[in-house]
Amino acid sequence: MAAMRAHRLCTLVATWIAAALLVAATAPAGQAQQPADIAVIVHADVAIDNLTLAELRRVWLGDREFWPSGERITLFIRAPVAAERDAVVSTLCRMTEAQFRQHWIAKVFRNESPSGPKIVYSTESAHDQVARVPGAIAFVPASAVGTGVKVVRVDGRRPGETGYPIR
Amino acid sequence: MPNLARVLVTSVTAALIAAAPGAAAAQQPVSHDPPAPVSQYPNLHISGFGDVNFSITDRPDGPRNFSLGQFALHMASALSPRVTFFGEISFTARTDAGTGSPSAAGFNAEIERMAVRFDQSDRLKVSFGRYHTPVNYWNTAFHHGQWLQTTIARPEMIRFGGTFLPVHFVGGLVEGAVPASSLNLNYKVGLGNGRATVLGRAGDAGDANDAVAWLASAFIRPDAYYGLEVGASLYGDTITHTSGREISEQIVAAHVAWQREDPEIIAEIASVRHRDDLTGLVTWSRAYYVQAAYRLQQAELWKPYLRFEHIGVADDDLAFATVPELDQLTLGVRYDLTLFAAVKGEYRTWTRGEGSVRNHGGYFQIAFTF
Repeated sequence: MAAMRAHRLCTLVATWIAAALLVAATAPAGQAQQPADIAVIVHADVAIDNLTLAELRRVWLGDREFWPSGERITLFIRAPVAAERDAVVSTLCRMTEAQFRQHWIAKVFRNESPSGPKIVYSTESAHDQVARVPGAIAFVPASAVGTGVKVVRVDGRRPGETGYPIR
Repeated sequence: MPNLARVLVTSVTAALIAAAPGAAAAQQPVSHDPPAPVSQYPNLHISGFGDVNFSITDRPDGPRNFSLGQFALHMASALSPRVTFFGEISFTARTDAGTGSPSAAGFNAEIERMAVRFDQSDRLKVSFGRYHTPVNYWNTAFHHGQWLQTTIARPEMIRFGGTFLPVHFVGGLVEGAVPASSLNLNYKVGLGNGRATVLGRAGDAGDANDAVAWLASAFIRPDAYYGLEVGASLYGDTITHTSGREISEQIVAAHVAWQREDPEIIAEIASVRHRDDLTGLVTWSRAYYVQAAYRLQQAELWKPYLRFEHIGVADDDLAFATVPELDQLTLGVRYDLTLFAAVKGEYRTWTRGEGSVRNHGGYFQIAFTF
């Protein structure tokens, strides 16, 4: 009887230890997970292969409105909360959401730009609009890049390469 | 007959279905194509700004208690990928805008800005119309949208209806931007009508004299100091004074603006040179202001600010004979109710030249955009 009780106790302890080991083994892996790289995609006809972070910031703040070929730049941005929008607002423009919105309201009000970035509600929509609209640019998860668009290098790096700055 | 009726009904129904575009489209298989690209011209974007104010002051003149600020409507329209139109209309409450004698209170409607612009590239944009004169940073950064600016009021050197600097300009403008080794140099060059005989007004219906007003301004926004803007402006014109005398006017102005909110710093100075063409007398009048604000990190809806401003007018300046001097300190705080509405409260204390009485006032404003 005592041996049976001891066996049950050992089994219980072993189960707890196994569970704890499992949690310990999985938790660090989850925490170490890096955010996915965000790719900068442009319409296939845009004659740009690389942009510096500063150039990209000027594009997204509306200070640069034309590609070198003369095509007007059309910005497509995800609605708030999406990781791609956060990459534009926080990582690239170094602004809060409120500052980014106020910047674009002021930009249009100053007549420095005819309109602000156009909102899209899904990665697929962003991808499709960039594929269809000449001069368009958007941020999409690197894993979602398909055909019909061009991925632009940022500071000479493509998504997935070491040191790629947008994620 | 029943067969004929059935055939007729069927035919009419089929014809109606075929004639209805929506219905016809509904007959087509579901398309997985994305929506058509947004390139319909002309397109129109309308936005607006408004503000309601409350003031308590020991000054004998000016508004008391509640007053409506400006109700501004802004219209921007792309006519093609390279041609855009914009317009700005304001409605301003005034004590003398109504009819009768004495004048009744009412609203004054005004076309504040209206221009059509051709964008050749980032380096070259050409426009014609009525602008806020780019001889001053505040005048072109905040326009009539009180919500956009941190403080309740504009600096007096560039207040609407003021005289010190020409707020509006009617004519043509060439502008653009070049990277210039990451300095991002922007320029504006313009020709047009100068001030009207009433100096606070622009030459909307034609110039007051044959002399053409000109302006040139440039500023940089260096990549290395993101948020910084440094610029300078020149402006020249000949004023026809109400007395009929002609006065040459040249304005030199400079500004520094750190546009981040941690902190926000704006400083401007403008010197106005007048030369009376009859007597040859030359005078210089100067105005400047320094404004600092800081968006609190722990309570980011709050943004305290302060501003000091000065207007000094030369004693013999005939054109500015009615321009009051000013030394004013403003202390205030802005609280952003939502992304699109803010409440501001501020205390101002000021004097109007040596020996004048010191005034004090408390001001409140709710400003919004929609």
